[in-house]
Amino acid sequence: MKTKLTLAIILATATTAALAGPIEEQIRFRQSAYSFLGWNTGKIKKQVVDHPETFNKDYVAAAANAIAAVANSGLGELYGAGTDQGTGWKTSRLKPEFFQKKDEVTVVANNFNTAANELAKIAATGDVNAIKTQFGKLGETCKGCHDLIRIKE
Amino acid sequence: MKVTVRIWDFPIRLFHWLLVLAVVAAYVTATLGGNLMDWHGRIGSFILGLLIFRLIWGFIGSTYARFGSFLPTLPRLAAYLRGRWYGIGHNPLGALAVFALLADLSLLVGTGLCASDDIAFEGPFYQLVDDESSRDKLSGLHVQAFNFLLVLVALHIASIVFYRVVKKTNLVVPMLTGKKEVPKALATTVIGGGVFRFLTTVIISGAVVWGVWEGVEIIKPVESAPVTATPPSF
Repeated sequence: MKTKLTLAIILATATTAALAGPIEEQIRFRQSAYSFLGWNTGKIKKQVVDHPETFNKDYVAAAANAIAAVANSGLGELYGAGTDQGTGWKTSRLKPEFFQKKDEVTVVANNFNTAANELAKIAATGDVNAIKTQFGKLGETCKGCHDLIRIKE
Repeated sequence: MKVTVRIWDFPIRLFHWLLVLAVVAAYVTATLGGNLMDWHGRIGSFILGLLIFRLIWGFIGSTYARFGSFLPTLPRLAAYLRGRWYGIGHNPLGALAVFALLADLSLLVGTGLCASDDIAFEGPFYQLVDDESSRDKLSGLHVQAFNFLLVLVALHIASIVFYRVVKKTNLVVPMLTGKKEVPKALATTVIGGGVFRFLTTVIISGAVVWGVWEGVEIIKPVESAPVTATPPSF
């Protein structure tokens, strides 16, 4: 019995590890992903919202494509069991409820992906106002996750 | 024998109702998020201006607007709780609530200036806080200060209802008209305030808010948007 349990734990751990590495590594990867997203949303904010006179179509499109690429990379894989506890670059702010709210999480996460892909599409047109509107919608989807599963310090 | 006294001067009433509107607007914009966060920042700055206004008006406004006239000192509080406080304007317990509200709103505005939603909004002082965990804590404190504000507002409204129902006193009408009927024995001459002081206070408050947004560029210039015509080639 005990051996079976140990075996099950080893198997489970091994599967998780094979997918995205141990807990700390998953947390580190996802924190990196979000800070890279932050760099790119910051670039769009500056050129589209704060200083539209500096708008550069290629620059903004590159940032929007990077955001879409991260969104489409399958971030869900980095949310393995136990990753609400642990430290990557810093302590994770994932709420333990994440694992009970899988359905709601799926909805808000898909909203983000859809909005990110739409932003990339619109950014390619170079229409500043349309980009600004979609950028705001993207921000709302970020907030969807922050409100649902991110600990407020 | 009752006489009508102008207990709340026009600037105080304006301050009160603009604050109500601004707090509601700040809550709505923060809840909806997205591009409205920029408006949240602007409304927050407006609230900062209102608080500075109130601070100054607490010294040069008319009688019942002055902090000195309603300091909730222990003797006053004790007298009030024993039912032996007689006066007009804020009673000692209400005064406690006034100072608590102003202090919490100051904390809310102060932390908001340093906060970020980790999406696309940064308060004007966010870049001045170097340490990342302090940044996170200040943003978190902003949320907690708001939750505490809800408690204070609930108490505020509950007291108004209590006065209306139990003590048969309407507190809302005087906050609209400024006038209140009081026993003649308690009525004192209202002094202070005035148009010139009001306008001066408005200008000072506006100047401070402007300084908060512009001055930060002088202390620590935020890197401006790249103006290069072409992005890097790699």
